[in-house]
Amino acid sequence: MDNHYPKILIIDDERGLRLGTERLLTRKGYSVATAENGKNGITKGLEQDFDLVLIDLKMPDIDGLEVLREIKTSKPSTVCFIATAYASYDTAIEATRLGAFNYILKPFTPEELIHQIEKGYRQRKLLLEAETLRQEREKNLLEIAHEKSRLNTIIESISSGVLLINKDGKVVYFNRACLNKLHFEKLDIEDYILDKLPSEISELVQKLFSDGSTQKSYTTEVEVLEDGELIIEATCSPVPHPDGSFAGVVVVLKNITGLKKIEQLKSQFVSMVAHELKTPLAAVLGYLDILVDKSIEIPQEKRIEYLSRSDIRLKGSLELVNDLLDISRMEMNTKQREIADVVLVDIVNQALELQELEIRKKNIIVEKSIPIDLPSLHIDRDEAIKIINNLVSNAVKYNKEDGKIIINASSDNNNIKITIEDTGIGLNEKDLEKLFHQFFRAKNKYTRAISGTGLGLSIVKRLVEANHGKINVESVFSEGTKFTIHFPFK
Amino acid sequence: MALIAVIDDDPDILEASTLILEANGYEVITANNPTTGFEIIKEKTPDLIILDVMMDEPDDGFFLAQKLKKEESKIPILMYTSISKTIGMQFGANELVPVDDFVEKPISSEELIQKVKNLLN
Repeated sequence: MDNHYPKILIIDDERGLRLGTERLLTRKGYSVATAENGKNGITKGLEQDFDLVLIDLKMPDIDGLEVLREIKTSKPSTVCFIATAYASYDTAIEATRLGAFNYILKPFTPEELIHQIEKGYRQRKLLLEAETLRQEREKNLLEIAHEKSRLNTIIESISSGVLLINKDGKVVYFNRACLNKLHFEKLDIEDYILDKLPSEISELVQKLFSDGSTQKSYTTEVEVLEDGELIIEATCSPVPHPDGSFAGVVVVLKNITGLKKIEQLKSQFVSMVAHELKTPLAAVLGYLDILVDKSIEIPQEKRIEYLSRSDIRLKGSLELVNDLLDISRMEMNTKQREIADVVLVDIVNQALELQELEIRKKNIIVEKSIPIDLPSLHIDRDEAIKIINNLVSNAVKYNKEDGKIIINASSDNNNIKITIEDTGIGLNEKDLEKLFHQFFRAKNKYTRAISGTGLGLSIVKRLVEANHGKINVESVFSEGTKFTIHFPFK
Repeated sequence: MALIAVIDDDPDILEASTLILEANGYEVITANNPTTGFEIIKEKTPDLIILDVMMDEPDDGFFLAQKLKKEESKIPILMYTSISKTIGMQFGANELVPVDDFVEKPISSEELIQKVKNLLN
């Protein structure tokens, strides 16, 4: 016997048989429970997990077969015997059909009973083992199914396209993102894909096929839609079998359209900077060439004019370099903004002082109306100075002789409004749109003689916005320009 | 005496180039934008055109060169630009840019004269 006592339930209405069997089995090491009728038998049989149940076929309340059915239904691995003095072929069949292990004929000898019970117990152990195995298998299957669906969910959710191709060039797996990356309407498992993929990608896949190596990966860029509308990066990597041999290729597709656009903007910017820096140098070098060339005769006043033009162009380059550094600082965000209470009239006066010489030269009248009780601006002082200096210097630079500059400020509950207006050359509508663009300079008969980097206003706009403000411009060509800035009231 | 048209939006470069070319015995006409440039070419039929790439628009020079080519103008074009090759924008004398020579600014006066002589021969 096992080291645990097999538990057995005896259901019989005959008291003598119950007691005798109980005594016999207890002596043999069984843990025995008894029930004196069918009803109790069912209750006990369902309450506990018995290894074996011995059921009398004829009981006054409930028929033994009914008891057998009840117990087997909820405890399928409990081994049940039917005991009866009135064995018939039909009841034997019915009992077996309902799941009885065997049929014991009454009266039985102790040896007969023990023999049957031991056989039954071996069966019980087999059933239990089978049940454990079944449960384990079920659990494993569940885990695998769960794991698989989790992986699927993950691969479906990632924004990169994933495409798995087997050695025959057929699709084995793909996610939805893969379709829009390749701009495919549909794709089916087992489709031959190599002739459908962009040639750049299928070449790499075929290279991996012929390499047969499971180490190397290749990456390429593909313009899926023309004019840079959709550019993807495809990385093709070999997929090995568990034994390390070559199974196929996985292609991961990323949308890099945005990155490419940024790259293009950057190289455009660099080429603009190169142009803007080289042009003044070329002009200055041209003048120097002439000035040192003894074979060219130049009157003295022309010499002085060329030198002073060179001086202006070099100063312009210096200004440009400074503006570029400002932009670079803003872009790297290295600047720590120090918010302070800035008194507008102070920085306006400073800006006017800087321009005093030019203002006098052009005989410009400045009209300034800033209320004494104007609340202070709550922004970075250095940046406020840069904004006002830039706008005031533009108002001087692009003004006409005997012109006017009008500087106004006012406040309401939400905003402080600053306007800087000039009676200068103004802008036409087309130029007005591009005014805040980097390197934009309106080109017309007036601006030709005025130097500028084309960066000043783009810097002003950025600075205003970095301080949560807003800048607008109105202008009438050859009449004047008016800049309006709103800063939120703190 | 050969007549050269210089078309560039930079007044200083126009001035310096004119002086150098005149000192070397050429006659010079100038324009500071592609429209006037086209007009003076039509009117005076110069023997050589020196053309800047970037004027009002970054590719004004190209357009003017293409326009002239379409009209089957035989006047040689020397195109110059300040855009460097190192930033990935490579220009050259080919179908797309129908010019006869291509130089990068700044160019020394000796080099300019050399290029001009080559193209006029």
